[in-house]
Amino acid sequence: MESLEHKNKTQLSEKKISRRNLLKAGGAGVAVLAGATTVSAKNKSKGKRLAMVIDLQHCTGCGGCAISCKSENNVQRGNRWAKVETTTVGKFPNVGFKSLPTLCNHCENAPCVKGCPTKAMHKGYGDITMHSPEKCIGCRTCIAMCPYGVISIHIQETHPHWRSDDALIKGCTSSPKEMTEKVKGNVIPNYNPAREEFREGSGLHYKGIVEKCTLCDHRVTKGLLPHCVISCPCNARIMGDLNDPDSHISKLLVKYSPRRLKEHLGTEPKVFYVREFNPSATKSTKGTV
Amino acid sequence: MKEHDNKITRKSFLKAATATAAVAALSTVFQPTLKAFAQTTGSKPKEPGQWKSTTCQGCTSWCSVQVYVVDGRAIKVRGNPNSKVNRGNCCSRCHMSLQQVYDPDRTKTPMKRTNPKKGRNEDPKFVPITWDEALDTIADKILELRKNKETHKYMLMRGRYSYMRDVLYDRMTKIIGSPNNISHSAICAEAEKFGPYYTEGLWSYRQYDVLNTRYIILWGADPLSANRQVSYYLSAWGDVLDHTQVAVVDPRFSASAAKAGEWMPIKPGQDGALAVGMAHILLTEGLWHKEFVGDFNDGVNKFIPGQTVNEEDFTEKYTSGLVKWWNIELKDKTPEWAAEKAGLPVKQIVQVATDFGKAAPRAICWVGGGPAMQVRGGYSSMAAHALNGLVGSVDNVGGTLAGNKEYTVSFPKPDDFMDDIAKKGKKHKKIDHRGRKEFPALKKGKPGSAVITNNAAEGILNEDPNEIKVAIAYMNNFTFSCPQTERWERALTKIPFLVHITTNASEFTHFADIVLPSVHHMFEKWGYVKSMGNGHRHVTLLEPVIKPVWDVHIDETEIPWLLAEKLAEKGFDNLQRHYREYKDPETGKSATTEKEFALYSLKYATHNLWDPAAHKGGDKFSGWEEFKKVGVWNSSSYPYRKRWGKMKTKTHKFEFYSETLKAALAAHAEKYKTTVDDILETCNYQARGEQAFVPHYEEPYLWGSEKEFPFIHVDYKSRLNREGRSANCPWYQEFKDLDPGDVAWDDVAKLNPIDAKKLGIKDGDNIKLISKTGQLECHAKLWEGVRPGTVAKCYGQGHWAYGRVAAKEYGKVARGGSNNEIIPADYDRLSGSTAFYAVTRVKVVKV
Repeated sequence: MESLEHKNKTQLSEKKISRRNLLKAGGAGVAVLAGATTVSAKNKSKGKRLAMVIDLQHCTGCGGCAISCKSENNVQRGNRWAKVETTTVGKFPNVGFKSLPTLCNHCENAPCVKGCPTKAMHKGYGDITMHSPEKCIGCRTCIAMCPYGVISIHIQETHPHWRSDDALIKGCTSSPKEMTEKVKGNVIPNYNPAREEFREGSGLHYKGIVEKCTLCDHRVTKGLLPHCVISCPCNARIMGDLNDPDSHISKLLVKYSPRRLKEHLGTEPKVFYVREFNPSATKSTKGTV
Repeated sequence: MKEHDNKITRKSFLKAATATAAVAALSTVFQPTLKAFAQTTGSKPKEPGQWKSTTCQGCTSWCSVQVYVVDGRAIKVRGNPNSKVNRGNCCSRCHMSLQQVYDPDRTKTPMKRTNPKKGRNEDPKFVPITWDEALDTIADKILELRKNKETHKYMLMRGRYSYMRDVLYDRMTKIIGSPNNISHSAICAEAEKFGPYYTEGLWSYRQYDVLNTRYIILWGADPLSANRQVSYYLSAWGDVLDHTQVAVVDPRFSASAAKAGEWMPIKPGQDGALAVGMAHILLTEGLWHKEFVGDFNDGVNKFIPGQTVNEEDFTEKYTSGLVKWWNIELKDKTPEWAAEKAGLPVKQIVQVATDFGKAAPRAICWVGGGPAMQVRGGYSSMAAHALNGLVGSVDNVGGTLAGNKEYTVSFPKPDDFMDDIAKKGKKHKKIDHRGRKEFPALKKGKPGSAVITNNAAEGILNEDPNEIKVAIAYMNNFTFSCPQTERWERALTKIPFLVHITTNASEFTHFADIVLPSVHHMFEKWGYVKSMGNGHRHVTLLEPVIKPVWDVHIDETEIPWLLAEKLAEKGFDNLQRHYREYKDPETGKSATTEKEFALYSLKYATHNLWDPAAHKGGDKFSGWEEFKKVGVWNSSSYPYRKRWGKMKTKTHKFEFYSETLKAALAAHAEKYKTTVDDILETCNYQARGEQAFVPHYEEPYLWGSEKEFPFIHVDYKSRLNREGRSANCPWYQEFKDLDPGDVAWDDVAKLNPIDAKKLGIKDGDNIKLISKTGQLECHAKLWEGVRPGTVAKCYGQGHWAYGRVAAKEYGKVARGGSNNEIIPADYDRLSGSTAFYAVTRVKVVKV
């Protein structure tokens, strides 16, 4: 019953899109003609192709995206749907430190979707790489297939630390379980029920199956931006529709030279990086030999 | 949901029609069409919860924020879009507040100690008690002091606060009759205010006009990580970098350095040398800002290295004492001299100083705690800040600005409620020794006016000037946050009756007799704070956006009210009568319960902001209800250059020769019938004579010999620190690697690989850092972002209490080691500040 509901909802949102398709087709065609992006402009899915541009000049590596993602999506300790990868380069005193925020790339040519034997990993609204928990058998083929390491598995019941009965000071402090019960949460006290809609009535994740970023499908299908985008204090994350050549991201992709992670694999990621984490000016020089 | 869908459909239907028409008419196929679609998706659907306004005090940015509340439960947070300071942004640490308010290790009830023995290794054996029993016990202890006319033996210790602080911190202490309200300010960054005060008469942090500037020197400041207005600067920085060069002066590679053009990894403590060296370059190269500073009468630059200049040859405009400064301090401070002291290339110093000067007046020298919070750091603070005077960026477009005017009011005066016992008690000297010969503590030009937080431990231990019998402390953790923490452990052991108001059983709580559980400031409290940024000041409300999770009360208002009630019951009603003066401006009523008092006192203090009849400027509201909903009042925008010629210095000008400091030092010397030179010697400064009145170089004062302790310890703050209170949040540990060089779920000391190789230390090795006064154990991290000869370690880890995540084993084993275990207790005595930087030499030992 629940899974049926889920399907219905998906269909609903698809219907919504299809009404707009008539007009979309024209727009997408122009994008191809204009050669507007270096991105493959094949309009696979009708309707939107949601993508994200991360402007590294604006990014400060603060981690607001990755931490807020955990609160929005009830992600348990140890798992991360969004990350900030860091690298230190050079030798003292000529040192560089770069931050690279990452998330599921929602590849057009998604290996996890191809590899999934049960179609739990599939393409959903706006070409988001979606995961249906009720179809997932926890075989982890997707984890093996994904070149980006953005899919996690729940081996135990989720949030094991919050299931504990132990209080630090008996009678004076609570146990984690008691705290959640006291505030009427769900396993975790700050449980976000908004995640329930597309997840069989539970915003938590299940033992034995995988989980990943769904680009906040529960938000974007309602016309709301993903929580990481809202939470980025640096305005480094820009969300938009690749099928809309007038969207802000389409313009950014034309203006700059976008990079994608592991481009050579042909996965066609839909997370694009523009500009430099450290864009500081350099002095003109011809160098030395 | 259905209704909403229908709406969209209806809209899209209409849009489609218009779009088709547009296509036909303009034959530009896509643009109007797709705009139409952007609009349909942009329509905002309703969310089931509610965004409620409050304030994040995770750091001292004090951002106005909003909490998303569903069925009375806090789910997520965001910046308050109504603030003109943080402009709808909050930083990463704000999200962790969720794990604080719902921390299972929060104290949920008052508790009392049942183990009479106190010490780090003694389990306090806390048991729960009622509020009534707790308050009854505290009231009895206070009344006993009053009965014996020894109210000066009462002490109030304050850590983080809202501006409701004076209810508990000031008024209650005075009406009980004690001089001993001791704040945490001197372990924050008071020395950072010393430079601006003794040059431009501003005892305050500054805001920086970054969107209009062309050059920024971040000097021991890391605004993309910590303090102050982090979220504003995070939001602005991407744009700032389009038009601004950034140089970072810091011995370790900071988060801000990662996005800067120049990293100047200065030798710790040599900030003064670099600053006067740069001033020398600005003058010899003729790069001072003539409009602000003035010029030579004949227009010919006579600032020639090594040569004295006639004062009469230069006419100053809005500054005072430039030539004196040159003659006394700068003429010999060549780039070569500075480079040698600072351990930086001459070329880099000249390049940065010159580019900075060329950008004048849109050039900011952003002086953080780094150069200031050192022994003798007051002068480095002056020297670095004086560069802003040279380039005329003070109070100017693209420069360094003061706070905008705001209109909150103080609480009623306590004087009429202080009886003879209170008046006599208050006349005693303070426990922190401020104003003694060796502690001038010259806040705002007045000797003995600044707190010397960390020295209060000595006062308590030595019963000097008297013993402390009863103490109350709130939102503080001096046994963790003050250097040489073991002194505080001994001091607290010595206090016979200690009350701690806190959310978590911290290292400080471990020594308490009674523990009162506090609300979480961001979710459960009424209060307000003010802060500035983006050319504005905001006054933002702390509001109870959820019901308190446990049986807890507001530290700054409800608890003093409840205590006042208890004291009145027992025959001493002065405090209660005083608190009844804080009337609700709307009804004129006095509070009758603690809940009413919390609200009325807040409405009283912010009356001019929300009452349209009392409006004096800035945002205007229809009344309290609207202010409460919006959550923040914004000032009008910044009036540039209004302070030029009207600065609150002796000369009303920007003083390169500080008449203001000269007067303050003379007043202190006069008190002890001695000379300024004698005061300087007593207080461990090197300057003598006229040098004491100009920004100048002082050698750093480090504890321990280079031979025995070959490394200099570099302390810094995490981008995830909620002032030492977030280590129990799992997200803090999971994301600790967001700090450059740090490791998740770990506490690491960072060594340059060259040094590590010499010591045979590898990544992940267990090591000990040993200083003259203490030691700590942590893991080693080999990292290129550390200057050889230094060991960099972030403050925040090393809790041995606080909770199950913060400590490896609560009450017993620390997770890593706290920097304050190795930093000795020492001071910049002119400001009273505690030294954190360039004060500790350490040896590194593999365990």
